[in-house]
Amino acid sequence: MKFWGVRIASILVAILLSFGLEKLGRGTDSFTQQLIVFAGLYVTLAVSLNLINGITGQFSIGHAAFYQVGAYSSAYLGIKFYPQFHGNLFVWLTLMALVGAAMAAVAGLIVGLPSLRLKGDYLAIVTLGFGEIVRIVIQNQKALGESGGLNVAPHTTEQPIMFVALLAVLCIAVCRNLLKTAHGLPFLAVREDEVASSAMGVNVTATKVIAFALGSAFAGAAGAIYANSLGFINPDLFNSTLSISVLSMVVLGGTGSITGSALAAMILFYIPEKMRDLKDVRLALIIGGLLAVGLAVSAIRYVIFNVHKSAAIRAAMHVGIIIGSVVIAEIVAFALGKIPALAGTVEGAKLRLVVSAVVLIVLMLVRPQGVFAHHEFSWSWVQKLMGKKAPSTEVAA
Amino acid sequence: MPKFSIRCGLAALALSVVIAGCDSKPAETPTEGGKPAAEGGKPATTGARPVPTAEPIKIEGDTIKVGLVASLTGDQKPWGDDSQAGAKMAIDEINAAGGINGKQVELLVQDSASTPAGAKTAAEKLLSSGVVEILGEVSSGNTIQIANSAFEKGVPVVDIGGTKTDLTDIGANIFRVCYSDAFQGPVMAQFAYDELGLRNVALMTDNKAPYSQGLSAAFKAQFEKLGGKIVDEEKYDTGQTQFGGQLNEMKTKNPDGIFMSGYFPEVGPIAQQARQAGIKAKFMGGDGWDSPTLLNSGGDAIIGGYLCNHYNNKEDRAEVKAFLAKWTKTHGGKEPGTTMAALGYDAAAVGLEAIKMAKSADTKGIIEALDAIENFPGVSGKITLKGGNGTPIKQALVVEVRPLAEGFQVFKKAYTPEMIK
Amino acid sequence: MAAVDLSTLPQQLVTGLLIGAIYALVALGYTMVYGVLKLINFAHGEVFMLGAYVTLFISWSLGYTPGNVLAGGSWGALALMFVGSMVACGLIGALIERLAYRPMRSQPRISSLITAIGVSLLLQYGGQIFLLDGRPQNVDPKVSPAQGNFSIPLKPANSQLLAAAKALEANMAATKDAYEKAAEGKDKFNLPDDVKKLRSTSQDAERSYNDAVGKAENSSVSIILPKGQVIMLGTTLLLMAGLTYLVLYTKRGRAMRAVSQDFDAASLMGISVNSIVTFTFILGSSLAGAGAMMAATFQSGTKIDTFFGVLPGLKAFVAAVFGGIGNIPGAVLGGLLMGISENLVVWAGYPGYKDAIAFVILIAVLMFRPGGLLGSNKVEKV
Repeated sequence: MKFWGVRIASILVAILLSFGLEKLGRGTDSFTQQLIVFAGLYVTLAVSLNLINGITGQFSIGHAAFYQVGAYSSAYLGIKFYPQFHGNLFVWLTLMALVGAAMAAVAGLIVGLPSLRLKGDYLAIVTLGFGEIVRIVIQNQKALGESGGLNVAPHTTEQPIMFVALLAVLCIAVCRNLLKTAHGLPFLAVREDEVASSAMGVNVTATKVIAFALGSAFAGAAGAIYANSLGFINPDLFNSTLSISVLSMVVLGGTGSITGSALAAMILFYIPEKMRDLKDVRLALIIGGLLAVGLAVSAIRYVIFNVHKSAAIRAAMHVGIIIGSVVIAEIVAFALGKIPALAGTVEGAKLRLVVSAVVLIVLMLVRPQGVFAHHEFSWSWVQKLMGKKAPSTEVAA
Repeated sequence: MPKFSIRCGLAALALSVVIAGCDSKPAETPTEGGKPAAEGGKPATTGARPVPTAEPIKIEGDTIKVGLVASLTGDQKPWGDDSQAGAKMAIDEINAAGGINGKQVELLVQDSASTPAGAKTAAEKLLSSGVVEILGEVSSGNTIQIANSAFEKGVPVVDIGGTKTDLTDIGANIFRVCYSDAFQGPVMAQFAYDELGLRNVALMTDNKAPYSQGLSAAFKAQFEKLGGKIVDEEKYDTGQTQFGGQLNEMKTKNPDGIFMSGYFPEVGPIAQQARQAGIKAKFMGGDGWDSPTLLNSGGDAIIGGYLCNHYNNKEDRAEVKAFLAKWTKTHGGKEPGTTMAALGYDAAAVGLEAIKMAKSADTKGIIEALDAIENFPGVSGKITLKGGNGTPIKQALVVEVRPLAEGFQVFKKAYTPEMIK
Repeated sequence: MAAVDLSTLPQQLVTGLLIGAIYALVALGYTMVYGVLKLINFAHGEVFMLGAYVTLFISWSLGYTPGNVLAGGSWGALALMFVGSMVACGLIGALIERLAYRPMRSQPRISSLITAIGVSLLLQYGGQIFLLDGRPQNVDPKVSPAQGNFSIPLKPANSQLLAAAKALEANMAATKDAYEKAAEGKDKFNLPDDVKKLRSTSQDAERSYNDAVGKAENSSVSIILPKGQVIMLGTTLLLMAGLTYLVLYTKRGRAMRAVSQDFDAASLMGISVNSIVTFTFILGSSLAGAGAMMAATFQSGTKIDTFFGVLPGLKAFVAAVFGGIGNIPGAVLGGLLMGISENLVVWAGYPGYKDAIAFVILIAVLMFRPGGLLGSNKVEKV
């Protein structure tokens, strides 16, 4: 009884929060609303990729392909059938999300097949290759607008904030429930050691295939909504840069941590968007900043590997290093600014992806397991914070 | 495992949807408007363009917000920079003279990154900032997206350089200050047939750019009408750098002219590689060639080619001279590199004139005022939008590509719509 | 779909071979690094890109700037650009290894892969800021003194057609003369009607002549080899031979092979593993630099911007896998075959799928022969 109570209560809370978010969003301008929708879509993408990469350990970096399949299915069906559709927009979006999910799941099955024989780097390149093949094939179909793209009907000028929020919640819920219950153990087992898990009776093939299909299904559903929200799609929107962005969100959050992926998705999406508005940045500051980052990373690595004091002292050293490097960056920038060739400015917008790249590299050098590593946000963690003892029925992820 | 069978079921469902849904008719690329077939040099007159149904946005506050979408990064940066500089110059002039009806004009600029998706985002951002008019862009693919977004809000768009014929059919709020491909294509076809005496022309089309596709189609229609023959049609994508495959095929068809309807980043290499492959045909193109960087990437091969442009810096008109004087003063003595500078200036000037003349201080009034513009003295020629369904009737100049020392674009012949047979 | 034209096949094969030479050079770098470190150096494509920029800057410093009309090419300039690009790329490669990859050696391979992706992105987008705003540039083609083409005739032209063309030549010259005399001093594009008539007669004659010449030329089958690109192919083969000699017959090469076989055992045997790894990176990167210099100079129309290396890098990696990763002749073979298959796709009438063929080959190879063409075929058993 308690189980069902909690479940129904959490579903109601999710619906209420999504509704609240939509009401909040309606108060802002249409561009911000679109950003909120995109944030939700990226969260779905990151969590679904995490299912494949982090939880099942299959290194897939072609996730944009599934996103694209979902988007184009929705666009194509919308152009053909929406004029004759006389129902609620919400119903249409749900239908499109389902169709997108189904099409993407089929694609995921196809891509997942090589994973049965390949591991690690090879699998990564193959999935990247599949992503490119899907993009190029779609780019050459006249029915799908070729390189020129498609204008999508319906264009949801009233951004579907609530729908996207619910989709993201659904994705997180499915992944979390998978992880915390007995159904999720095979995925974790396959990640840790395929041979041992096979010896223990886990159907490794089925597990991998399901992971790919499930992860890609969610990406496809997100893609369907993306197409309707944006109003116009072309193959360039789904290139390898997108796959790599989603991958960096998963890596930043911590492969294997759903909370981490969700939070990292929102952060890594928000920062570049905010930087669109950034005015000019001094060139000298950029050089100074890069130098400072390099110094800070080496110093932090030294502290991590060679200093064996208590955690508090080490944390204090880290903070000191960061402050010190900011100071050094400003000093170097000031000095370099005197040189006429380096006195110019650079538009802030250009720095967006540079920042992403630097974040990736620094992260790998300093904390390769990601910010959240394997940890999740859960009630037991909150209870631990409050001092109560954690229950012992936890499945450690 | 129950979950597995659910997945299998879904997969089967998906497959059946795919099989059932695959019929042979391809979906047409839709735009929110009709599709006219323009004839000769006359603008499309197939009747009503769709009228925006959104509530008109009033001009409120102490400034008039005007938006500009420009390609400030990416392949078309030379055009975007020029269009921004030109528009800014026009707006600064009007503001210095007291603004419009006492209010200063505030220009909000967003970068489209030379891509249609970027243009759409830029337009959305501007629309949500409350602009009453949008200027832009320099290429048709980007302008189509701006037009779609603006149509939904009923905001007027003054297109700077997008020449695709059916651009203005997206909505009654779309206007432009340049000629359309319905004129440009036939002009080059006429020039090729009459002046150059070409009879067997091959088309080299950028399959990724709506502009190039439209221009090639317009050229082909007129050229075949005159009695010429299109012997080969090759396609490439924007961004390609090696065209050996397409050119090898073209060579076997023995064309005496190649019409390259794409943009300058690709046209240069195409010309070079064509000469390298042994093709001796004459090269022709549209205003997509217009950039000094064409000489860098085209080298010796592009010298002697012909392109169709909007106006020429050497023209003897008062507006051109005044514009050049103002431009060289603020740009260190250099003349504008591309026609987008003048077109940007004209677009802003026309757009602001419409705001001034608007009977009601909202977007609906501005649209009506734009529809009534007659004989506006633009740098790129006299602009009349009245009765033109959004496209002005202007002259086109055919110029020859010469080295920078000789003046880059040397005027050869002017065409007006009556000269198209 | 354009009809498949068998007569152009030999030309397309040769064009593909020449494109493949570049892929081969870059693939060599990938294969060596993978052999030694089991790492896919994602940033290798960006080293290639930087090599092209170095080539560009050297050519500018020698005076071949845009708009500047210099007399002719010089072999000295080419040599300087070649060596300069190789040296610069070697240094850049060593730097990347030292700063980004060496700290990752103790981590799982996925982390190194992500670091490589990060470095690659950093170079692409950071380059946009520091390298001329990212605006595409071209190396002035006049730098190369090897202008023009070699022409290898396979089938001579039909003599009847040649004779027909020759017969029309006289008429064409005559009518052209008449027209030019009449049009002297007049605006060529606003002629009076009688001169216009002379012009059309002249144009008609010229067209018939050109048509006949064209027909004659098309009846012959010859292969056009741009001189510069032949040099490219020759240099690639030379470099490959040099590399093979180095790996098989020198002490350092033996050390490299040892490290690639077993990292730890090699270090136990007294080999300074770090210096061998750095050396491998320098070698691989300088080969990429050589490839970049030749691609930028000899392939006309090559547009240099910071994304210049992305697609060639990816294709070269596929070529390395295709030929057998870790295998040097395999990398070259893979590269050449990759170039040929890419061009065959265009020849078959599907230019849009040109880039997809690389990935299709990759997937096919990994599914059916994971060791590659020249590699061992053992499936990785646990």
